[in-house]
Amino acid sequence: MFADLTCGALSELESGRSCSSQEIAMRVAAGAARLRARGLQRGDRLFILYGNNLEFFVDLLAAWNVGASVVPVDNRLTPFEVENLARTVTPKFALTDATVPTALGDALVALGVELLGSSDLAADAVPSANAFCAARLDDEALILFTSGTTGVPKGVVHTHRSLRARWLCLRQSLGIDCFRRTLCLLPTHFGHGLICNSLFPWLFGQDLIIAPPFSPYLLMRLGPIVDEQKITFLSSVPSMWGLSLKGSKPPQGNTLQRIHCGSAPLSAHLWGQIQQWSGIRAVYNAYGITETGSWVAGTSIEDFEPEDGLVGVPWGAVIKILKNADPQTPFADGAECRVAETGYVWINTPALMQGYYGQPELTDQVISGGWFVTGDMGLIDDRGRFYLKGRERDEINKGGAKVYPADVDAVVERFEPATAVCTFAIADPAYGQNVAMAVVLSRQDDATLRQLHGWLKEHLAEFKIPQRWYVVDELPQNSRGKVSRATVQEFCASLKPVDLVGLLRRGS
Amino acid sequence: MTDKERSRQELVDFLRTIQRPDYSHAVIDEESGLVESGLIDSLALLQIVTYLEQAYGVDFSERGIDPEDLRSVNSILDLIAREAAS
Repeated sequence: MFADLTCGALSELESGRSCSSQEIAMRVAAGAARLRARGLQRGDRLFILYGNNLEFFVDLLAAWNVGASVVPVDNRLTPFEVENLARTVTPKFALTDATVPTALGDALVALGVELLGSSDLAADAVPSANAFCAARLDDEALILFTSGTTGVPKGVVHTHRSLRARWLCLRQSLGIDCFRRTLCLLPTHFGHGLICNSLFPWLFGQDLIIAPPFSPYLLMRLGPIVDEQKITFLSSVPSMWGLSLKGSKPPQGNTLQRIHCGSAPLSAHLWGQIQQWSGIRAVYNAYGITETGSWVAGTSIEDFEPEDGLVGVPWGAVIKILKNADPQTPFADGAECRVAETGYVWINTPALMQGYYGQPELTDQVISGGWFVTGDMGLIDDRGRFYLKGRERDEINKGGAKVYPADVDAVVERFEPATAVCTFAIADPAYGQNVAMAVVLSRQDDATLRQLHGWLKEHLAEFKIPQRWYVVDELPQNSRGKVSRATVQEFCASLKPVDLVGLLRRGS
Repeated sequence: MTDKERSRQELVDFLRTIQRPDYSHAVIDEESGLVESGLIDSLALLQIVTYLEQAYGVDFSERGIDPEDLRSVNSILDLIAREAAS
């Protein structure tokens, strides 16, 4: 690992297992030696199929020590989806453990990927000579897949340079003291939980307490957990707070110094409730995108009141609001919006991704001259504060987990009786948004619908499967003759959805 | 129908509206864990909390949520009975 990044202690909230900084260094060295002995080399790619545990972080650093790049994989994905990812990046190895469904490992083996077990932290840690870290700053470090798991996977590639830039920018913007004891309740297979909530404080020597992601039983005890563990910082997504605000006693120990909330819109109302529950004003809306290394702006301003859409100031970035999202001529004359005018959000940051894995044309559609077009709409007011006003990106935000309608459509389109499909978002009291679809079928009998459900289960992780279905004779078109998700959503609002529960019970 | 039987039926009817679509059992076992049995996913516990607040006036902000109270149909019914008695 790079000489000036020294990790803090690491512990698991539920099991109580922990490793000191020195022990982690020994485990990482041993892990790197093990991986080298198995043939892993600089430039190779490695899947890690587990997360949110000690082994994940040790194995991540061990792989980086060898100079390999790591693909953290959400093990809720189906074998079909994981195969698709593996065909794209051709990992040399996949690290697995007892929590990973056997079917995922089997699918990878069938593709010629060798499975290895996670580091054995129960074995004695033997000091070994520190192997020279083979990674270079501009080597690939992480590939985080966002959309396209069912079609052409979109993998965001971060190098060691872009990750370090993110961490250094955050340290400069936010300091490090308040992250002294950081709790991570978010998944380590995505940017927010991994790059910013976990690696940023941990690799600057702060202690990281890692928990299973989104565990409602932990969320219902969040206040006592904060007190017991003397947590100074935690990050979150809005949907997490439903259970904690209702059911958890607030923390009493006055250890909390800072809370971030991101990955989904944070309403002023919820924001205020979190401040009240936590007893601190320092609750910040953190804006970030995987492509920018996650947190790139937030409300780290002294005087603010929670407001819908308020983000705040850049953290290691320049944000511009332009009238267009055209990567060919973003900065043509008159392209920049006026103060308080809503437009497309463009970001320039040294933490910008290297690009989308294997997709230079797609990368060129979003990066122009070092500027990245986010797909978000926003404005900057006369105080220089950035507000998020909406998203043009085609995604459904299900409790912080992103579901890409095109991924669902791609699966349904391959179901033989389906002649047309449109996946769209619906409001959900627990998740914020959930997944719905309108589908045109050549056969609409119960057996076909049950087969479609089975098809979806085989090809999509459960959280992506549409929870509400509308079987229609044709998809409505908008005024320009196109099928738009918004038009379909509006059309379906007056229709009766399929009784999915009853349908599946009749067939079981 | 007694109050307890009515509460049980209304709770089961509510659980059916938030259950996983492919939960295959025709009958909801009243002692089994709602999440462990696969009837609901864990975030749906929030919807049960909201149901209890709205249907029975349970104030969780005062008492907090004990995860064991929401574990099964029977534990939820016990919670409802305790709230009614207090």
